[in-house]
Formats: sequence, structure tokens, C-alpha cells
Amino acid sequence: MTDALRFEWVRLRTLRSTYWLIGSALLLNAVIAVLIAWLEPDDPGRDLMVAAVTGGGANLPVPMAVVFLAVLGVLASGHEYRYGTIQPTLTSVPRRLRLFSAKLLVVGATGLVVTFLSIVVNVGVTRFFWSSLPLADPTVAGYLLLGGLWSVLGVALGQLLRGVPGALVVLLVTPMIVEQLIFRLSYAPALDWLLPAVKFLPFTAGLQLVSAAGEASGGLASEVGLFSRWPSGVVFAVFVAVTVVGAGVLFRRRDA
Amino acid sequence: MITAARLGKRYGDKVAVDDLSFEVRPGTVTGFLGPNGAGKSTTMRLMLDLDRGTGETRFDGRRFETIRHPMREIGAVLEAKAFHPTRTARNHLRMLAAGSGIPATRVDEVLEFVGIAEVARRKPKGFSLGMAQRLGLAQALLGDPATLILDEPANGLDPHGIHWLRDVLRALAAEGRTIFVSSHLLSEMSLMADELVVVGRGRMIYNGGVDGFVRSFTQSTVLVRTPSVSMLVDALRAVPGISVSAEGADGVRVSGASSATVGDVAFAAGVRVHELSTTTASLETAFMTATGAAEEYVAQAPAGGGE
Repeated sequence: MTDALRFEWVRLRTLRSTYWLIGSALLLNAVIAVLIAWLEPDDPGRDLMVAAVTGGGANLPVPMAVVFLAVLGVLASGHEYRYGTIQPTLTSVPRRLRLFSAKLLVVGATGLVVTFLSIVVNVGVTRFFWSSLPLADPTVAGYLLLGGLWSVLGVALGQLLRGVPGALVVLLVTPMIVEQLIFRLSYAPALDWLLPAVKFLPFTAGLQLVSAAGEASGGLASEVGLFSRWPSGVVFAVFVAVTVVGAGVLFRRRDA
Repeated sequence: MITAARLGKRYGDKVAVDDLSFEVRPGTVTGFLGPNGAGKSTTMRLMLDLDRGTGETRFDGRRFETIRHPMREIGAVLEAKAFHPTRTARNHLRMLAAGSGIPATRVDEVLEFVGIAEVARRKPKGFSLGMAQRLGLAQALLGDPATLILDEPANGLDPHGIHWLRDVLRALAAEGRTIFVSSHLLSEMSLMADELVVVGRGRMIYNGGVDGFVRSFTQSTVLVRTPSVSMLVDALRAVPGISVSAEGADGVRVSGASSATVGDVAFAAGVRVHELSTTTASLETAFMTATGAAEEYVAQAPAGGGE
């Protein structure tokens, strides 16, 4: 396993896109934080402060910086197929599940570290406007978890779909279009049977991890039919876990 | 030593590799020959456990899955450009070395050996096919393996490069390594290989020495020039096993007999002979004869055509 981890670590370090993606994630989050702080320099509410530290919180259909981490994950597995390196890779690290686990671990850990760094950077840049920040807020912990989960999900989707484009489509189209559509349609009286399913929409559920007040899309979680923060987090984590297991099983079974 | 036993692979109804068994001995270069689509790459993928199929391949008696660091025992290159276009050649090899517990110093050694040390820190997206092939060979040699499996390594090399590759492979074989190299060009193989495994449509056509292959699949014919063509043709037709075709106004092409037999027949019939010569079909012709019936994608002429 050590060899597989070393392989994966060198793989990640020797790719320029790694630095671009991490840099973009950090920069984007810092810009969002500065904007919020600049617009509301005096007496911001707790929600705003938390949103500034967590790259916008649950106010966007996808947590922006976290998407970059998922892309990092997609490239980890998808590039192997995009550039045909899976053959030399599997000659170097022949145990497929070991290779896949190493990718999940290295990218997941990188995702966690970057998310943590982003929180630190955002605290730093908002210091010029605000004196204190609610860092002990559960939203901050939720944000770390979300960063780790999206990174891992990226690796799993890239592996499951054996390529980059398909995985990116799933990662972006599902939360931004499919789930938004289902969520909104569930308000229509004729489609109210959708309501019970809404709380199980994985990406929407995942976003509750960074919702400052257990608040979702304009209302409290219970009012719009969502689970609160941690149960929603579990829904998303289960979704990620199922994707990981599916990708691992198929990787083992299929032709490389 | 590679021992492949009863390798098989099907995609739905289509059989890509059909019950292939062969051995690749150390100390020689063994060519794996077949037309495009004959199942060469699939066979190599089966050998390396990349594809799931039937049969078993053993490397010095061991199955691939039981080898902890395959790269140190089997150097394999299945695709010419299996690298990320913006990861430098050196970093690409460092990555693979890291996964196999190979010291990083070995990376510079192999890059030097294949002659691309000066572009080691360049991004390989601008590499020519020849440079990519050299990087591929460097990757195969990274773990100093006793076995090499190379899919079309000469593809894209200029004549100088092919010459170099042949010398390298022969030198590596002389060190006692087992070398299995595929190609769809017999001319390439006849330069490089000592032994041949020839396949067509996933089936074994020939397994043995290069000379033997040429001998068994090349038919010699005898050309006779004479002023009395019709007399000679009548005389030859009387001999069983001989077939005759016209070659120009004063020539006859005879197959199924040696030049001595043809000369004797002509003498007995009292026919004057102006020329008597034996023609041996080229290597390419031998290959086409051997695999003609097994060609996967036939362009225009119907399958089975010799020329």
C-alpha cells in the first residue's frame, strides 16, 4: 500500500493542473470572503460570517471551491483512461483495489487539507473587516467534511465512468440542473409526491453540511422537507460511499 | 520464459483470441505477428491481466497476479503514447518507479539508455512517435525486467530507429531476457526476431523459427522461357502435381516442381529452353499467404489472394 500511495503522491505532484485547481479553489474562496466582508463590514450576522469562511456556504447550488477539488479527483482516475496510462500504472501497481484506495486516500486527504487551508486564508482576509469569527460553528466542520467528500466522489466518478468528461457532467449537471429541477418541481401541487424524495437528493443533502442555520434554499430545513445538517450529511456520505464501492467493484471486474 | 496456455477472449459473439497457447523462450527475440485486428494486442492485454478472459499466462512459472512488483520483472508497453502530455518524461518515469520501489536514479539511467536524456525535462506532448516509442522502451526497462512485452515498438521509428531497436532488443535477448514483440510487418520481424508466433483472427497460424515460417509459406516457382511454349505446356501438364500458367508470349510459370524437373521434362520433350530460373516469394508474400484467409478487414480483393 505504501508503494501505491507513493505512486499516487508523485502522480498528483507532477501535474500542473493540480496546482491550478488548488490555487483556483483558494483564490475563489478568498474572493468570495472579501466580497462578503467588504459589502457588510459592520455587524454582519453569524450566517454571513460563516458563509464567508465556507466559500459562500449553502447559498449557491454547488459549493464553488469544492467543485475544483472534485475535478482534482476526477483527473486522478479519469486521466488514466484519457491518456491510456492505466496500463503502465497497473504494471507498477498491479492490485487494482490498492491503486483505487491510494487514489481515494491521497486525493481525499489533499481535499481536506485544501479545504482547511481555504478556511485559514478566508479567516485571514476577513480579519481586515471583522474582528472575530464563529470558527467553532458546526458549519465550519461541515465544510471540511464536504470538501473531503467531494474530492473522494470525484475519484470514484472518474473511475466509474472511466474518463474525465462523463464524470464532470455528472458532477455539475446533477446538482445544478437535475436536483434543482426536482427540488423546484416538488413545490408544484401536481407533483407533490416528489416531496418525500427531495431529502434524499444527494447533492442537495450534501449542501446542508454548510448551511449556516440548517437553512435550505430560503427556508428552514424542516419547512422545505430536508433533513437537518448531520442527517443530510449522512445521506450525501452514503451516496459517495455507494459510488466508491460501485467504482471499486467494477474496476476489479472489468477490462482495464 | 513466458508460458501462455489456452488464452481466450470474446466480446459478445465475436471471438478476439481463440485458444492460443505458446511459449516465449529466454535469450531470443520472439516476434508476435499478425495482420491488424488479429488479436495481438488483446493477447498481450490478457497476458498482463489487463483484460479478463480465459487461460493462463505464467512468467517464469508465476502468474502475473502473484508478482508483487511486476514492473521489476515484466517490462510492458502496449500503447505508444501512454503518458500524460504535460507530465515530463522524467516525472512520468519517476511516478512509475515510485509505485514499484525502483530508485529514482534508475530513471535517468534508462532515459540515457534510450537516447532521450536531453528531453527528459520536457513535456512529452510535443514528442514525435519515435521519441514516444523510446520513452515507452525506457518505461519498459525501468525495473530492469527479465521479460519484455512490447506492442508494435517499431511503429513510427525511422529506418535508423528500427535498426537501433533491433540492436537493443538483440542485446537484451543476449543477456538472457525473454522478449516478446508484436508487429504487423513481417519485414520488421524478420530483422528483429528469431522465433515467430503468427496469428490471424485470434488463432495460431504458425509457431517456430523465422526461416521455417518463410520456408513453409513461400512457394517457389520456376520461370521458363522457350520458343515452343505450347509443346512445353503439353509436356508439363502430363506430369502430375505440376501447374502451369503463361508468363508473357514466350514464358511459362511452373509451380509444383523444381527447376531440375522442369529442365528434364523440357529435354525429354525436345523443347529448347532459353531461360530457366527459380523465383522465391518475398517475405511479405509469405505473410500474406499465411494470414490471407485470416485477414480481419479485407479492403478490396477477396480474402485468400496471394499477391
